[in-house]
Amino acid sequence: MYFAGVDIGSTMTKVVIISDKGDPISIVKGPTGPEHRSLASEVMNVGLTQANLQLNEINYIVATGYGRFNVPFSDRQITELSCHAAGVHNLFPDAKTVIDIGGQDAKCMKIENGKLGDFVMNDKCAAGTGRFLEVIASALGIKVEDLGAISSKSTRDIQISNICTIFAQQEVVSRLSEGESLENILAGLHTALASRVVALAERLSIEPSVVLTGGVAKNTGIVRAMKEKIGHDIRVPEEPLITGALGAALMARRHVLDAIKNNTPVVTSQRRLDKTTLLYGEH
Amino acid sequence: MNDIPSSLSIIDESNHGRVKKVRDMKSLGYKIIGYQCALIPVEIMSAFDVVPYKICSDIKEPITEADRLLATASCPVMRSCLDCALKGRDDFLDGLVTTHSSDPGEKAARTLGAYTNYPYFHFIDMPGTVRPEAITYFKTQISDFAKTMASFTGKRLSTEKLNIAIELHNRQRSLVQELYALTRPVPPLISGTEIVKIVRTLMTLPVQEGNNLLVQVIDEVKKRGKGPAQKRARLLIWSSTLDDPGIMQMFEEQSNVVYDETCGGIRPFRSSVKVTADPLDGLAAYYLKEITCARTFRQASLGEIEKNYSEDLRSRFGYLKQVVEKWKIDGVILLLVRYCDPFAFEIPSIKDYFSNLSVRSTYIEYDYSERALAPLRTRIEAFIDTIS
Repeated sequence: MYFAGVDIGSTMTKVVIISDKGDPISIVKGPTGPEHRSLASEVMNVGLTQANLQLNEINYIVATGYGRFNVPFSDRQITELSCHAAGVHNLFPDAKTVIDIGGQDAKCMKIENGKLGDFVMNDKCAAGTGRFLEVIASALGIKVEDLGAISSKSTRDIQISNICTIFAQQEVVSRLSEGESLENILAGLHTALASRVVALAERLSIEPSVVLTGGVAKNTGIVRAMKEKIGHDIRVPEEPLITGALGAALMARRHVLDAIKNNTPVVTSQRRLDKTTLLYGEH
Repeated sequence: MNDIPSSLSIIDESNHGRVKKVRDMKSLGYKIIGYQCALIPVEIMSAFDVVPYKICSDIKEPITEADRLLATASCPVMRSCLDCALKGRDDFLDGLVTTHSSDPGEKAARTLGAYTNYPYFHFIDMPGTVRPEAITYFKTQISDFAKTMASFTGKRLSTEKLNIAIELHNRQRSLVQELYALTRPVPPLISGTEIVKIVRTLMTLPVQEGNNLLVQVIDEVKKRGKGPAQKRARLLIWSSTLDDPGIMQMFEEQSNVVYDETCGGIRPFRSSVKVTADPLDGLAAYYLKEITCARTFRQASLGEIEKNYSEDLRSRFGYLKQVVEKWKIDGVILLLVRYCDPFAFEIPSIKDYFSNLSVRSTYIEYDYSERALAPLRTRIEAFIDTIS
């Protein structure tokens, strides 16, 4: 048996296919892009090719992420919050707190008994999200993936006082004109973002062990700043982008195994591996 | 859902064409006075044979005109009401009565008064505490309201007429309580979405007509074969206002909302006006003390010196304990309309209160608009995942 999880995020679409033992056999990431809803099928096709499988060989497919209702081949939709918790619990069974910083939102989840226990989310404002770093990197003409390495060379702490992305961008330009080094400014930006996300997470109380996921977890400068703010270690999965899709695949597996155990039918949807865009409720 | 009773069809129709319904009433000779808040003593209007019409926001209408006059960082419900009024949606109104429901509420009310041309406008100054002096002062304000209504309608208000209006509205409150009793069975006999539609309709009709419809609805719901299906969880929603059936329907995709402590739900109907020798005393005490709105400051005991947090919580939220028990609540959604500061300040305390009752709650903040529904859906589903 095979199971798949599809996570349609604001920036990246992720597919994870797992075996009946729960082991990943295919992991694919692709940019969500402006046609994000229709491109889920393309990413899934790559995943199927990688796993040498046909769509009908996948026993159950769970879609997650904010585009979850627009995956025309999914059997069920589950929120990214529940899927991240399940994915992180699989990778780090002792994890109690998950902080996920994605392209357009930041969220903190508590894991209780292996599943989502409580959560808090911020998605109204770009401050505290990956978009914040993208905007700043773009304004400075550097690649977002280089931010961590550059900031590691900082020589002193500086404060970026504006939490609004646009005003922070202006502040960065102003600091540069005052002669402040790029390294110090970037380190200050990482501290500003970490402060905002940790403040959000503290609404739930942060219990170790803490796992950081999402694209921003690849930024070593953010991980360093988060550790300083929280005051203890933070673990980052080898591939921090795929915990939602992994959790979705694991929930698909659990759904089927429970059905077998309880001798109940597994109902799948009319799957369509095309570029159809669905509206909510059309599944 | 099969077998929809005819009274619920009437409710559906009234909601769909709410403005048309009230325009039809106006053509029959009724005077229609708009109000925005559950704190307005509607009995005064009914006593003058005027129809109290609750002005609701419109989540589908983008706010454009109101932003010329109000800060965008203020209550979206008030901004939407103002926006719709400025666009002429409520031009059938004969007047408007407003109160100091909150600071943005007061500013929106003043702006409405200034930028609309209704023949009647009245502002009720409502104190922010439940002290005896506050109730005494509030009584004078209700009395002033009655005087301007008398002047506007050319009628005299007798004690007998006011007592009849109070009795009719109390009857409506007890009928709504009866309606909410229909959500206590598992599964409930009526959905939260249907209740929101019913309450919206009640706030459109003359009180007696509303009562007649309620009697019919309750009877038909009791008799109908099939009510809402049992969903993954039974929810209590605590919020300032939730009067949009579409938003409630989103909650009910995966849950049964069996109790909504909001101004579009049971809050204006949860208790009754006490019979007093001077009916204004009963009205003042009811609207200031019994309407459990976060804008009114309450203490465990007046003039207390020692802090007693748990007693304070009990005095503010104690009425919800029996709701949790009787309605078999699995979880509570503390639903905050963005920029609604009075309710935002209550969140930590009410969360503590439910935690002490060992009931899970979650706090969700959202814009009262259609564009906010996708993130809202994610939070609702995730919370249901945690409790089911």
